[in-house]
Amino acid sequence: MILLKLISWPYIRKHLLRWMLTIAGIVLGVAVFLGMHTANQSVLYAFRQTVDRIAGSTQLQVSASETGFDESVLERVQSVPEVRAAAPVIEASVNTGLKGQGNILILGVDMTGDRNLRDYELESGEAGIVDDPLVFLAQPDSIIVTDTFARQNQLGIGSKVPMSTMEGEKLFTVRGIMKSSGLSSAFGGNLAIMDIYATQKVFGRGRRFDRIDLTVKDGARVEDVKKKIEGMLGPSFQVESPSARGGQFESISHVYALTANITSAFALFIGMFLIYNTFQISVTQRRSEIGILRALGATRGQIRTLFMGESVLAGLIGSTLGVLLGIGIARLMLGYIGSLLGEVFGIAEKAKEISTNPALILFAIVLGVITSVVAAFIPARNAARVDPVQALQKGKYQQMSAGENRVRRITAFVIAILGVACLVFRQSHGLVYAGDALTLLAALLLTPTVAQLVVQALRPLLRWVRPVEGTLAADSLLQAPRRTSGAVAALMLSLALVVALGGMTRASYGSILNWLSVALNPDLFISTSESLTTRGFRFPESMGPQLSGVSGVADVQGVRIARIQVRGMQTIFVAADIAALSRRATLPPTAGNTAEMYRLASQGKAVLISDNYALLRGVKLGDVLDIASPRGVLHLPVAGVVVDYSDQQGSILLDRSVYKRYWDDSTVNLFRVFLTPGASETDVKRRILEALGNQRRLFVLTNREVRQYIMRLTDQWFGITYVQIAVAVLVAVLGIVNTLTVSITDRRRELGVLQAVGGLRNQIRRTIWLEALTIGLVGLILGLALGALQLYFGLRITGEDLAGLRLNYEYPYEISLMLLPVILLAAFLSAIGPAESAVHGSLVEALEYE
Amino acid sequence: MIDLAKVSKVFNGKRQVTALENVELSIGRGEMVSIVGPSGSGKSTLLNLIGGLDTPTSGKITIDGSLLSGLPDDDLTRMRRDKIGFIFQFFNLLPTLNCIENVSIPLHLRGWPKKKIDERARELLNLVGLGGRMDHLPDELSGGERQRCAIARALSVYPPVLLADEPTGNLDTHTGADILKLIRDVHARLGATVLIVTHDRNVAESCGRVITLRDGRVVEDRAGLGLTA
Amino acid sequence: MNRFVFGLVVLGLAQAQDVRQIVAESQKRSQSKSEQYEGTIEVFGSSNKVSLKHWEFERIGSFGVSKSILRFTAPAEVKGVALLIVNHPDRSSDQWMWTPALERDRHIALQDRSTRFFGTDFSFEDLEERDVNQFDYKLLGEELVDGQQCWKIESKPKEAKSSQYTSAVLFIRKDIYVGIQIESYAKDKLVRRIRYSDIQKLDDIWTARTIEVYDANRKSRTVLKLEKLKYNVPMKDENFTLEALRRG
Repeated sequence: MILLKLISWPYIRKHLLRWMLTIAGIVLGVAVFLGMHTANQSVLYAFRQTVDRIAGSTQLQVSASETGFDESVLERVQSVPEVRAAAPVIEASVNTGLKGQGNILILGVDMTGDRNLRDYELESGEAGIVDDPLVFLAQPDSIIVTDTFARQNQLGIGSKVPMSTMEGEKLFTVRGIMKSSGLSSAFGGNLAIMDIYATQKVFGRGRRFDRIDLTVKDGARVEDVKKKIEGMLGPSFQVESPSARGGQFESISHVYALTANITSAFALFIGMFLIYNTFQISVTQRRSEIGILRALGATRGQIRTLFMGESVLAGLIGSTLGVLLGIGIARLMLGYIGSLLGEVFGIAEKAKEISTNPALILFAIVLGVITSVVAAFIPARNAARVDPVQALQKGKYQQMSAGENRVRRITAFVIAILGVACLVFRQSHGLVYAGDALTLLAALLLTPTVAQLVVQALRPLLRWVRPVEGTLAADSLLQAPRRTSGAVAALMLSLALVVALGGMTRASYGSILNWLSVALNPDLFISTSESLTTRGFRFPESMGPQLSGVSGVADVQGVRIARIQVRGMQTIFVAADIAALSRRATLPPTAGNTAEMYRLASQGKAVLISDNYALLRGVKLGDVLDIASPRGVLHLPVAGVVVDYSDQQGSILLDRSVYKRYWDDSTVNLFRVFLTPGASETDVKRRILEALGNQRRLFVLTNREVRQYIMRLTDQWFGITYVQIAVAVLVAVLGIVNTLTVSITDRRRELGVLQAVGGLRNQIRRTIWLEALTIGLVGLILGLALGALQLYFGLRITGEDLAGLRLNYEYPYEISLMLLPVILLAAFLSAIGPAESAVHGSLVEALEYE
Repeated sequence: MIDLAKVSKVFNGKRQVTALENVELSIGRGEMVSIVGPSGSGKSTLLNLIGGLDTPTSGKITIDGSLLSGLPDDDLTRMRRDKIGFIFQFFNLLPTLNCIENVSIPLHLRGWPKKKIDERARELLNLVGLGGRMDHLPDELSGGERQRCAIARALSVYPPVLLADEPTGNLDTHTGADILKLIRDVHARLGATVLIVTHDRNVAESCGRVITLRDGRVVEDRAGLGLTA
Repeated sequence: MNRFVFGLVVLGLAQAQDVRQIVAESQKRSQSKSEQYEGTIEVFGSSNKVSLKHWEFERIGSFGVSKSILRFTAPAEVKGVALLIVNHPDRSSDQWMWTPALERDRHIALQDRSTRFFGTDFSFEDLEERDVNQFDYKLLGEELVDGQQCWKIESKPKEAKSSQYTSAVLFIRKDIYVGIQIESYAKDKLVRRIRYSDIQKLDDIWTARTIEVYDANRKSRTVLKLEKLKYNVPMKDENFTLEALRRG
């Protein structure tokens, strides 16, 4: 500790800038990790709180996937003797016409019997929030809003609130305002309560409920009641405690969390690299100091401890700063994640506050410190091995021995072979990951050698650009392979990641576009909402014939999309008239016989599953799926696997006749409309709106609009990828700045000699600039090459573990081309500072030997 | 050739140190002068000022008729590279470049064409007796050979002034004598003005003129005793 | 008097004999085959925002087997809303509500009978018919209420009967066996006081035309007035069904 203060502190103070640059890697890694997770958890936390608050004192909730169930179930549940109170609920996420408010969650409850489950009341518990309950019930436009919402929108009792309904936008009347505590603070206050029967009517829910909330009588065990109700209602119903509902959300955010982990792991990895690099150079620079300490009697252990101590310090400072930055990032990301989940998954959640998790923060700090310590391990060992006699000789630098180089190259070669072997025998997922890791390791070990070769190759080019400075720059890079390879490796890794991510984005885009052109071929889509994911409203089946009657319409296909529990997972079901569907579009099967699978599926004897469902759930052609429905369990074989991107977690396609029969639900979410040849899209759209638009709420979207919508969603999803790319580029820049700063300090004498023998300031500057540009260029070349490999692994990993997409390998040329100027510019900018400090220092000092 | 008028140099650290105080000095063309004095007497500071590596706190320095004070950095550098050759105690060769490359650097910096650089570098290395070691790296040379290489580098454009800071300080007696002989040779053949800062009495006395510094002042300025080391 | 809404805590007979018989006699004297009236209900409280409402009421049958329909006639916001109440001798009544704007009826699940009746000071429990046999009685003495000599009788729900109140004190006029005041307590604290006044003899039945409830917690009171009251009007059973409720 005393050594740390005595020896390290003056050094750190002297090289403060370099130190900060070094720990910046840790800062970034910790910040990204904490930021993304905190934002995610905050949304999750808000969602859980919402669930809890809406649930009130509810002990069990009865639901039937997303399809809802008939009202009569309520009486059956109420008839269970152990049930103290049971109240039905409908939840609808509805767009408000109020500016800036977006969606509001409508909670439809039975106002006459619900009060003992939920607390809507003022703190006194006696004065009702609804002025006149009878008026509230008698008027279907009555709503209760939270006081937060009321305040934000200047609403009072009697104010009108516009909301989208089945019958178009309608005005609702505020007949009660609840206090912002408990229930009303769920959803960040964007919550309104309506009478459940009014909700059914206004939002087209028929005589169905989404959920029944219940409490059990004193003395009855919740677990027993759960079993009893499950037994009574059958497998198509779920009876769960309210907190279990959070789990559904968690599985959705799983993909996101994984992406966050990859990004932060990557940033930390580069951070580790930067620290390794700086420590290595610091050890070289402080050789004489170490020599003196050793000569004065310091043991090898003490020297090692000294450097490890420094690394712990670096880790702690970096992590702490990272935590602060991370919380900032979380704040920035909160809104983004909220809207992402809202748009992509149709869950509206608003988290206004970030919830920091002490355990997560602690973990992030430990992660940062461990990264730093691991990075400093080898340099610390090297420091301990410094020979005091050699170290005290003046004017000598330790050179990397030829033997070390050879050993490294051999190791790299062996690792590369192992990596290739993993690829050849890539039966299991583990091997793909292992292959990826081995390739990276081999690339890292080979970096010095390959970088030297590339610089050699670039030397003529540099000489051609600037004969004097170019040669000097190339030679300076060649003479210090360790210094150069640090920056090159950091850059290479970052760029490889950028290329891999870019390539995956491009491939996903490509296959989604491809799917869009095959599957989304109707001319018009008629939806209950402007975003296709909101499944809050449904159309009655009878609307189909009405649509067919509109002139210019050739064909109408009704589709019901619902989340249904299969194999313990909420899965998207697409119920459509498969025979009609196949006449218009044949989804290319990846497994199964096209004619046969459509025949079986259209007869309701089988289902088709999406490619990603098959990959993610490990379901094969011919497997039988057991699907619980209100009319009993369906056993349907998988007749085909098709490419379909309806849902990231996979989807199941079945004939609507089966759905209607087993789920007792003839409603439709979406009509696919094909026009007669020659009919104009806009004319038909207008005629449909004229014929039906005033009867009910509907959105007629043209094929182009739907495509744009889906691409927007895709873009939004890939927003995370862009964050990753940004982090990667940032890390690359950081690497260049760090290495150059280190390199310039390291070479003060050399630069001094150059000036002493007649080098002009501009010549020195240009030399440094050219060096930086060369490092950038070498990093680019190696990075783009490694990226090609990483892209391959990336595609396999996304394909099999994340989204189940089967993607084509396509190198992202655009991104690579874009990186060229970006990285060169970054390299140049990062060279300016070091170059100026090199030409402005005192020559005498630079030339002196202390 | 070299004229110093009331030159002072003060270092402003935590403690103010006056390295040179009102030094008046005039060295004629073709002279070979040694500067001696105990550690901290200001020898190296004087050399650095004359070489334009550092600037005086006050006073004027004129080299070959041009006044150094007030020159912008680039002009100072140009003056340096055209008129002055440096020889350092620790050679300061670039470790990754071989002899011929090290010698070529100043010529490169002047933007000479490749062929001419090569010719001149070979000529210089032959001059200093390293004709057979042109492709060797500094690590592969002995101390004396390294200093020869450094001298060749200093001579690259045949500067009228040669400044040597303890050129034999890092060498054994025998090699030191060789190097001194080389410098005397160069002096004789090229007619350059030579300034040598040294601790070595033999080296000092071998010069035509010996200037002694103490506490930043010239305390003695006399002819050398002509001893050859 | 309206059997459902104020499902009277009806009373009977003389002191020395049996307290329970006083209550039973009171119940017997108020019995009728059917009933109809037009009601007006109004809430008087410091923070009251409940509007004055009118309704038409019809009942067929009595005690334990009665059925009633209540239709709101004013104000406009609630016009057409109707309630069908089917009383059972052995359990809580079944109630359905019809809302014309929604064109549907709903079964009102009375899971919490301390809930206030549509924002008035009555709780749903106050409106239930109570049978003499569900309580234990104790004669506390005699007292003058509104200038009338009354029996003061304490009633406590039997163990099987769940109630928000732990006890109630009934005041029954000695001359005509009509209950004119009920004080309901929860743990010795007064919760509500209901007064029956404006008592007239209609079709041989002594009937209170004004009923006032006072909520001690909210310091608020609600007044119900019965107009055009008639007993034993001929009515048809089929008018007291869900279908009839929906017909409006």
